[in-house]
Order: sequence, then C-alpha cells, then structure tokens
Amino acid sequence: MLHLSHVLKRYGALCAVDDLSLTIRRGEIFGLLGPNGAGKSTTVNMICGLLAPDAGEIRFNGEGAPSDAAIRRRIGVAPQELAIYLELSAEENVRFFARLYGLRGAALAEATTAALRTVGLSDRRRERARTFSGGMKRRLNLAAAIAHRPELLILDEPTVGVDPQSRNAILENVLDLRRAGCTVIYTTHYMEEAQRLCDRIAIIDRGRLLALGTVDELLRAHGGRSRLIAGTDGGEHVVETDDPLAELARLRAAGRLRDFRVQGPDLESVFLHLTGRTLRDE
Amino acid sequence: MSTLWTLTAKDLRLLVRDRAGLFFSVFFPVLYAVFFGTVFSGAAGDYKARRIGIPFVDEDRTPASAAFLRAVTGEGQLQVEVTDRAAALDLVRHGRRAAAVLIPPGFGEARKKLFRGVPTTVQIAADPSRPAEAEMVKGLVIRRLYGGIQEIFTDRALLRQQMDDTLAALSAEPEANPVRVAALTAMFEAVDRFMRTLDATPALGATSTSAPAGTNARAFEPVRIEPIELESRRIGPKNFYAVSFPQGIIWGVMSCAATFGISLVVERTGGTLRRLRTTPAPRAALLGGKAAACLLSTLCVCALLLGVARFGFGVRPISLGGLAVAVACVCVAFAGIMMLLSVLGRTEQSAGGIGWAVLLVMSMIGGGMVPLFIMPGWIQAISVASPVRWAILALEGAIWRDFSASEMLLPCTILIATGVACFVVGARLFARLDSR
Repeated sequence: MLHLSHVLKRYGALCAVDDLSLTIRRGEIFGLLGPNGAGKSTTVNMICGLLAPDAGEIRFNGEGAPSDAAIRRRIGVAPQELAIYLELSAEENVRFFARLYGLRGAALAEATTAALRTVGLSDRRRERARTFSGGMKRRLNLAAAIAHRPELLILDEPTVGVDPQSRNAILENVLDLRRAGCTVIYTTHYMEEAQRLCDRIAIIDRGRLLALGTVDELLRAHGGRSRLIAGTDGGEHVVETDDPLAELARLRAAGRLRDFRVQGPDLESVFLHLTGRTLRDE
Repeated sequence: MSTLWTLTAKDLRLLVRDRAGLFFSVFFPVLYAVFFGTVFSGAAGDYKARRIGIPFVDEDRTPASAAFLRAVTGEGQLQVEVTDRAAALDLVRHGRRAAAVLIPPGFGEARKKLFRGVPTTVQIAADPSRPAEAEMVKGLVIRRLYGGIQEIFTDRALLRQQMDDTLAALSAEPEANPVRVAALTAMFEAVDRFMRTLDATPALGATSTSAPAGTNARAFEPVRIEPIELESRRIGPKNFYAVSFPQGIIWGVMSCAATFGISLVVERTGGTLRRLRTTPAPRAALLGGKAAACLLSTLCVCALLLGVARFGFGVRPISLGGLAVAVACVCVAFAGIMMLLSVLGRTEQSAGGIGWAVLLVMSMIGGGMVPLFIMPGWIQAISVASPVRWAILALEGAIWRDFSASEMLLPCTILIATGVACFVVGARLFARLDSR
C-alpha cells in the first residue's frame, strides 16, 4: 500500500531520516517504534505529505506521492498534538475536517455520526471540545481523522497523556478500524501498545531502520534470553536462560524452590539489544 | 471555493464563540465611538456650537467698558461670564478656563484720549498650558479693541470731538510744545478737510449712500475680511460622532486583525494547521480562508458601527458609494496586516503582545486614538506611514469631508497596496516559519 524507498531527510547537519526503505501492507497495523528524536515524526510528516524527502521516494499504492491532493484525500492523520478546535463542538470538529476531505450532504452527516459513534462520543456530540477530558479530546482527535474513511490512517502517539480507560478504548478503536479494512501506521514509544496492536513493527533510531518484523520475529531475533526469577531458601535467584523449564527443573531437584516467575523478552529488550539504550530513558 | 468557505466559516464561528474577541471587535469600538463622540460634542452634541468660556471682569464700569463687554459678548466663539478679579484669576489658575479678560479702571477715559498717547489697556490672564485657546481669546479681544478705534475714524462727529478734546487738553498744558500743538492742529484740520471731501464725493464703485448722516463708513477701512460663500459643499462634520465613529471602526478592524492574526499563531503552535495541511485543501486556501474570515468580520464590524452611527447618532454619510469603497479598502488593508501580524511572534502570547503594540503605534500616530488635527505637527508628518491615517481619511472622506472620486483615490490606493503587500510578505514569512 505504501512504499518508502531510500528516503533521506536532513535538517542542516542532522540526518533525521537516513536511507529508510520499507513497505506497509494493506490492512495491517504497522508500528513505528523508537525513542524521541529517532526520526518517527519526520517519517510520519513525509508520509503525510507535510515534508518532502531530500532523496528517495514515497509512493502510495504505486499511484503517486502523498504530496498530491488526490492521495491525501485517501489518508487520515491524527497528530500527536490535540489538533482540534476547542470552541467547536465534537460534531462541528468532525464535520469541519470531513468537509475538507470533500464530504457533503447526507454522506457528510452519516460519516460524522459514524466517526463519533466509533470513538464513543455520540452522546456528547453537541458539547464543545473545551469541556472534554483529556481522553475524550484524544478520541475526538481520532474521530476527526477517520470520518472520511481513509484507506491509510496515521496515528502519531495517539494515547499520550490519556487515562487507562480512554487508552483502552482508543486501542480497541484501532483494532476495529483494521477489521474494517483500514491500514494503520501507529507511532508510539509505549512497547505494550505496539506489542498488543501491531502486526509488524519497524524499530528506528537516529533516523535509521534497525529492525523490521512481526513482534515474534523481533523477539526471536533480538529479544535475548528469558529470565527465570526463582525464590529459594537462600534468597531470590535471577537466571537468564534459553530453556526456563530445564532451569526450573534443576532448582526443584535441588529442593530449594519456594516460588518462581519467568519474564520473556519484550520489545524493550529488543531495543536495548539493538541500541544499547532503553526506550523509556530517552 | 467550497473549501475556502469551509475554512472561513470555521473561523467566523470561532470568532463568535470567543467572547473576549467579540467584545473587543464589536462592542468596544461602539463604546469608544459613543464615549468620545459624547465627550467632545458636549451636552448639546453640536460640534460647531462649542465656545471658549472666558471670565470677564469690568473694574472700570464706564459706558465704554460696558460697550466693550457687549462687543466681546457678541463674539460667537466666546462664552462670557462676568465675575470679579479674584474669581476670574482663580478659574484660570486652576485650569478651568484658558484665559480671563480684565478691564482695569481708566479704560473708558483712555478711549477718549486716542491722540494723547494714553493706551487703552485690557488685561488678559492666560493658562500657560493652553496657549492656543489663550491666543485665540487675545486675538478676539484685540479685534474688538481695534473695532472701537475704527468706529472713531468712521464717525466724523466722534473724531472731531476727539481732535477738539486733544487740542484743548494740549493747549491747557502749560508746558505744551507749541510746535507739536501746531503740527497736531494742522494734521487734524487736514483730516477734517479730507473727511468733508469724502462726504461730498461718493467713493468709486459705490452703489449706495446709506451711511448715517455725519459718518462715512467707507472712509476708514484699511483692512477688510470678506467671507466666501461656499456652495452646498459642507466642510466639517455635522457632529463629533462623525469623527469618533471612523475611529471606532478602526478599533474594530484592528481588533479583528489582531484576533485572526493571533488565531493563526494558535493554529500553528497548536497543531491544527499541520493537520489542515495534511488534508487535500491547498495551502493558499488555508491562508486565504483566514484572510477571508478576517475580511468578512471586519466588513460586519464596519456595517454594524456605521448602522449605529446612522440610526443612533445621526451620522449621515455624504456619499454611500464612497463609503462602501472606503470600507472595502480598509477591510482589505487590515486583512493583509493580519497576515503580517501572525508572523511577528512564535507563541500566542508574544504574537498578541507584539501585534497589539504594532497596532497601537499605528493607531497613535495615525489618529486612531486622538484626532490628528489635535496632534503636534511632527506626529502629523509621520502619520503618513500609518495605514490608520489613510483608513480614517478614506472613511471621513465619504462620511463628512465630501471627497471627490479623485480625492478618494490616494487613501484607497494606499490601503489596497498596504493590504496586498502585507499579505504577500506575511504569507511568505508564514510559509517559512511553518516549514521549520
């Protein structure tokens, strides 16, 4: 659906995106994972058509670049900022953005209603966004991006600063959109979200693509060993192992095991393995 | 076009919901115009009827001083209040009056001794902080004093009396210089002969001999000021609301420009502009929509204020067509200025502060706060750099200055050029800021 080929973007001496090539498949949730300053936002801005690459090419369905208005009509964007008008009602916000994508009349009304229903704001549709909680504003931010039923939806850190309930609702919305056939590019630095949602994940740092694959593929390739944490008479033992069951059997045979837990590798450990740094520390 | 209207309608809706912005764009200008119109019009509300109040003290109390009081009272520009010396000086000292006129004892006697070197003395106490008004009072008083002298020279009997009294007084003086007495006698006789000749011979071009007996009104008239009757073309506003409402309109359009300029900064910093740029709407429409919303709102503000001025305060524009053109030019100018204001600050706060500072300076030097004719000359000179000056001139040109089409051309051209230039420069700078 979207193909980035040797894309390069510089800001003076800083290379924000360095020779990035990847393909996003139709109907998948594609995660862009990386710390702040990794180049996620620059990549997203180029995919949205806000920035032009200095080199390389971005093609949508092989038809054109996102800078073309006709292509942008098929893309929806929910920026990281709450890009909504606080003095407009939820319905007015969604209608306004949907009109800019060319919807009119009954189609506009239907799309507005559907978008608000999707994000669970139907009963607050006539209230001004200023009166909403942070989570509701985030959901409205999402509704404004999906009303025109885009083929490709770009969600830039869509759950920053929201309560767990709203976060969960947003994640469910994203899964529903995929089920409806929408392709999603999801940028985040929350590994749990990426792990839960994304069919494939690209890990980028300092503008370069470090790894690309499904969660399982990334964990297998870069996650490292599982950690067995066992409580014994002599205290807590942490053992890194490729075979936690065998290690557990050995401790039990020694008769010293009181309790245990196993921590499998996660995307944090993948990132640590790839960069030598943790995501959360960035 | 539909996209442009969608963007414009959004901004107008946001303006209507911004109560503070609405107040300063619509209601404050009305209050401003009404307040200053009322203050400067006075209770009567008649701009032309305002007169300078002067305390008048008659310490001479002779028929001559009474006649002089009547003459001064007859001056249309002065409102005379007769009082005593202490009260008069007190009024001026406390700044409640610009000047006081005092007639000291001996005024009447001196009037009788025109040729004996005794000056007719009038005292004027002036407030140093109001020199213009004080000088005006002085000029009017001098005019009336010389009016009295002119009266003597045009009334032959009175002049004969003055000459006889002078000669008698000089002859009675034991130390009178006989040469001087002889010279004066010769001069008086020559004057008398001259006046008799004038009485006997009508003046060239004279069509009437309606002067009273014994006088020759045309005999002594060294200076004449002739009023020119203008055609129906009025100069000067009917009332001060015709001056204050154009200023109120300027406040309204400035407020709209500031509001929309700041809103553009908010869109840039808040992320909505980036989101708008991800839509199929062309960038020109994004800025054009904002400018169109600014243009429409300023047009509405102008229409509202002009409606209030017309139906609430009797301001009748001389040329409705000219006013429509002036309003359109003013709105175009400030829509362009709005675009430039939006690039003056990186944040809402800095853009608001800098934007209003720029607008206030424009207003101060352009006559938006205080009418330019009250301002010092150097401010009037630099006011040509302020669009506010040209905006007020265009509006006043249509409302009460009765400008012709060619006279309207200069302010309107400057306003349009200002608007276009500001929009182009602002849009370019905005695009540069937005791409960072």
